[in-house]
Amino acid sequence: MLKENQAAYYPGCALLTIDRAYNSSAKLVSKKMGVELVELPDYNCCGIGEMKSKGAVSMYLSLRNMMLAKSKLGSKDLVMACSVCYHEISRSIARVKENKNELEAVNSIFNEAGETKDEFVPDGKVRHLLEFLYNEKGTEEAKKNTVKPLKGLKVAPYYGCLYSRPSMYTFTDKDPKMDNSERPRFMHDFLEVIGAETVSYGNEVQCCGGRNVVQDEETSFALCSQTLSKAKKAGADVIVTICPKCAGALDVNQPKIVEKFGKDSALPVVYLTQLMALAFGFSDKEAEIKDMISGPIKVLREKGF
Amino acid sequence: MALKEQEKRPVAAKGEHIIARHLIEDDYIKEEKNLVIDGVDVSGRWNTFIFSRVNPKFDRSFFSEIKKTVVGSRINRCWQCGMCTASCTVTPLHRRFNPRAFIYMMQLGNMKELKKYVDVAWRCVGCYKCSQRCPKQVNPAEMMEALALVMKKYFPEEVESKLKVDEDVKKIYEDMILGNGRLDLAKLHISSMRKMGRTKELVDRIEGGAVLKMVKDGRAFSLLQLGKPHGWKKSRQAIEGYLKKVDTIEKN
Repeated sequence: MLKENQAAYYPGCALLTIDRAYNSSAKLVSKKMGVELVELPDYNCCGIGEMKSKGAVSMYLSLRNMMLAKSKLGSKDLVMACSVCYHEISRSIARVKENKNELEAVNSIFNEAGETKDEFVPDGKVRHLLEFLYNEKGTEEAKKNTVKPLKGLKVAPYYGCLYSRPSMYTFTDKDPKMDNSERPRFMHDFLEVIGAETVSYGNEVQCCGGRNVVQDEETSFALCSQTLSKAKKAGADVIVTICPKCAGALDVNQPKIVEKFGKDSALPVVYLTQLMALAFGFSDKEAEIKDMISGPIKVLREKGF
Repeated sequence: MALKEQEKRPVAAKGEHIIARHLIEDDYIKEEKNLVIDGVDVSGRWNTFIFSRVNPKFDRSFFSEIKKTVVGSRINRCWQCGMCTASCTVTPLHRRFNPRAFIYMMQLGNMKELKKYVDVAWRCVGCYKCSQRCPKQVNPAEMMEALALVMKKYFPEEVESKLKVDEDVKKIYEDMILGNGRLDLAKLHISSMRKMGRTKELVDRIEGGAVLKMVKDGRAFSLLQLGKPHGWKKSRQAIEGYLKKVDTIEKN
């Protein structure tokens, strides 16, 4: 069960493996800001949209995590750092609320697996780590903890699609506490508070083509190259992301994108939490900057962070 | 500078996004080679007509089938304003991908036309710009999922021949999620590349660097860090039991 200043945290599959840098830096930053992320035990994959043709199974996969958060950690809400998981689980919650039959089907699977005794109704929310830190701790807390401001670093904040869209699942625009869907600001605010300078480049909420990144590289590469080159043109030193899927498309695939579209698309990628960890006084080793393929370590060292 | 960027955006060819454009495409145009009416020879271009648009055997069953699926339940709301196509991420890259036209065809149950788009219909990247901006809350992004389901059901041969890679990759995802409860991304990438016959690229000059780095720092061996949810076997059996009982749109 959770104590005070703890939050139920769903890491998801990517954050434990390929994107472990995001995971560890998110935990560091949250702890410094006064809230401890407690990993959800026995969580399972959210389904990442590949199970949609299987009826209620996709909803069961997502809601099983909400159920576990309630039964094992005693928390209605669940915090996650991955935008895809955020989208999947919020979508499932919205859907079963709208549709009684779906909820019954999900509950029948729960009963079959012996996971709940009585009917499970998802009454909690899923929260993106960025929104959670912003609303629970605020930029003031980040400012207080900044010991090494990132003066002189020009950053291009990249939100991607599923953090702010669609409103029917994320409640952007609808809830006054949430971000704006077309022009999100929360990442800008955090970056400015820790001393970095944000640039405007027009592709902040564009898509990276991450869903089909395996099957349809052509589309994804074209979209990523557009985003990267626009950010570079606007004078950014690094592009900052909050989603492991975006990082997969922009960072891991960057050598291939550069090969295809030229040097204009070469721009280092970092996670927001990594930059925050640096500003909070952690070393680049603790923030695991070296894990990024596109080599932000070089730029950051040149600038003296 | 902003203006210049906009100019670079590909501009639609004239009439490209007219939704009933197929009516004037070649296979809808009737042209008699030799035709004499009342003693007057009107062969060639003179007698060009489009085939009748009136469909006497209009079938609502397809529409209701879409409406029954969860993703397509709002199809009746669409009034064809075109906001989805205008904000689409994919349309500038693949000109034949046109959400508004797809929804229109699904409303009419025009299978003949839908069949022509099997190769592009799955390209939706799921960025939800259309759903965000749709004035009628149709949720076109999910309508495209309904479309993919429909195509799989009605044109299995075309899907099999044109989208083999997509189906194979999907199968890998499914097996991994149901089997382990969690996704092993490194293994997923390797097996997808193998399915596509591109294993060589994993060690070549461009991608090899990233792969080698991940092998060196241990991220490639992700199964060790990932583990399995405790008691997943029961959940898996429950899911399989459910899938046996229930008819999903793919099955029937």
